[in-house]
Amino acid sequence: MRKKLIFVTLVLLTAVILSGCAGGPMRGTTWAGLAASGNTAYLADGSFVYAVNLNNGRELWHYPAKANSKQFFYATPVITPDGLVIVGSAGTDHSLIAIDPTDIDSETQSPVEAWTFTGAKDHWVAAPLVVGDKLFAPNSDGNLYILDLSDNRSAKEAIQVIELGGRLWAQPTTDGERVYVTSLDHSVVALDVETYDILWHEDLTSAIPGSAVVGTDGMLYVGSLDSKLERFDPVTGNHDTLLATEGWLWGTPAIEDDTLYFADLTGELYSFNFKEGTHNWASIRPDGAVTASPLVLQDFILFATETGKTEEDPGTLFAVSREGEIIWNEEVDGKIYTTPVVAGDVILVAPLGAEGYLYAFGLDGRQVSWSPFTPGE
Amino acid sequence: MNNPTNNPQSPALPAGMGSGFLKTLGITVLLVLVIMRWNDFISIFTNVLLWIYDLLGNGPHMFGVAIILFTILIRLVTWPLNAQQMKGAAAMQELQNDKEWQAIQKKYAKDREKLAQEQLRIQREKGINPFGSCLPTLIQFPIIIALYQSITRALASTPLDLLKLSRSIIFPFLDVSELIPLNSKFLWMNLGQPESVNVLGFALPTLAIIVALTTYVQSKLTLPPSTNPNDQSAAMGQSMAITMPLMLGWFALTFPSGLSVYFITSNLLGIIQYAAQGKANWRNLLPGRQKQQAQKK
Repeated sequence: MRKKLIFVTLVLLTAVILSGCAGGPMRGTTWAGLAASGNTAYLADGSFVYAVNLNNGRELWHYPAKANSKQFFYATPVITPDGLVIVGSAGTDHSLIAIDPTDIDSETQSPVEAWTFTGAKDHWVAAPLVVGDKLFAPNSDGNLYILDLSDNRSAKEAIQVIELGGRLWAQPTTDGERVYVTSLDHSVVALDVETYDILWHEDLTSAIPGSAVVGTDGMLYVGSLDSKLERFDPVTGNHDTLLATEGWLWGTPAIEDDTLYFADLTGELYSFNFKEGTHNWASIRPDGAVTASPLVLQDFILFATETGKTEEDPGTLFAVSREGEIIWNEEVDGKIYTTPVVAGDVILVAPLGAEGYLYAFGLDGRQVSWSPFTPGE
Repeated sequence: MNNPTNNPQSPALPAGMGSGFLKTLGITVLLVLVIMRWNDFISIFTNVLLWIYDLLGNGPHMFGVAIILFTILIRLVTWPLNAQQMKGAAAMQELQNDKEWQAIQKKYAKDREKLAQEQLRIQREKGINPFGSCLPTLIQFPIIIALYQSITRALASTPLDLLKLSRSIIFPFLDVSELIPLNSKFLWMNLGQPESVNVLGFALPTLAIIVALTTYVQSKLTLPPSTNPNDQSAAMGQSMAITMPLMLGWFALTFPSGLSVYFITSNLLGIIQYAAQGKANWRNLLPGRQKQQAQKK
């Protein structure tokens, strides 16, 4: 009887341990979310959101004070004009939280929530979009939640829920009149920014993991996993294929004047003049796949590759001139999926599978002295 | 049932290396190969799952149907292993009820080493593979883990999962860019998340309960009666009939409900398989009936 009891206990204990190992979210489950404002970087990575002082690489705070098994962060944080840091949890609590960095708990040394929204049914992957005093927050449950940022409520409720279907993984875009939402269920939707009415709903043939981007010509540009860059009329939703690419388009294109910069999963880097319909440079495929969006900087365009030539090689930053010449390239520990962020004259990178959480480079590609940032060091 | 005449050992093999040994070796090598090429193993599972989903028209509820069909396919492929497991368990049970073995157990009750030697001898004489019943069970574990991983990979709940999914497509006829995102709804469930039904304000884990119940029924049906009070395998079987439902029920509570759909389908198919072969011991389901049966024998 005693042996039987020991056996039963051991088996059940193993089951609990196994389910704990495989079921719980942990750092490295997917790539981190990164944003910066002034001299502070905000990194959503695993159980915590970190604020890092970019002058010295020191941690200013982390949220929550202690890891909560129901919360898990990797959506890109959004900083509101009044300084709140809004970030969604991909944990089982499905909460959207506004952290107030000015209100630090004296006991835990962590900031407290200005408000929370718990009305969503699934996890948060996308960053929300702030338009005036309204927040457009797309969730994986297929709903776009619209919140009023000016109602001073600590427990927010959606003023409107728009059922779009599919999984909404990308931050919405606006041109001031309309809000555009892309979905993994192959659709692009335009809403009136004031009335929230759906103006048009167009389907492509495959999933859209990136955001739409509004061009200087007022048109809307969307990349998809169908390996096509699509151009939409923002008023009618009429669309045509602007360009067929070598591989899947994951990241959101970047725009400068009449040029779209983007890259695909084969590692091809593009500079495409949408007005002329011509490529600005011949084929450039220096390295591995690209999921991150390019950054348009004063002297170059910054691309980040997931890996090197082989899967074992680390990801690399490439500074490419507007003429298509590689000015410098710098390998980074780990793989790069997260779109790098520029804060002043520092380029921030949050690679996956690296020892450090956040790496900082100068505009010449040299790592800054405090880099990398690792919590607790 | 199992004796040296109907289980002849190949004369070309060294002594002690019967066909049972070769089967055990074969299964062990297969397990090692699977572990070494784990990622490829998951990719094959994911591709077959997506292929079935694609054939079904990838509409609402179809991923759940795909899991059920995939489970039937796995059951068909592992049918010989299950049959071997049942045969091995029956042979071991027959040994426990064997008068000669019971006499040996009594004789060497205090000499464990000698008892072990005698057990090996009698097993060899009767052509019983001591691993015949447990190795096929071991095969089930990588299948369960692979299925769990292929379901989570196919449902791709994080961007990294989606990227991995795009790279694990090895069937050239599958256009994953059109298939994703998979429709994770099946009946009332989200197959990518643990299931519960709200009853009077309480989250009732109905699937976990059904998983535990069907596992219990399957375990009980396959337990043969034993007259030997020293029968360790019968005692182990009784323990397993309690622990397995609790363990799988806990998994169903914790893991995505797609895995519970697999457990339930697999259990029901197991029950049907035993019943079709006339080996289901329905009386075992009634409390206290197993002891009575054993005493009658």
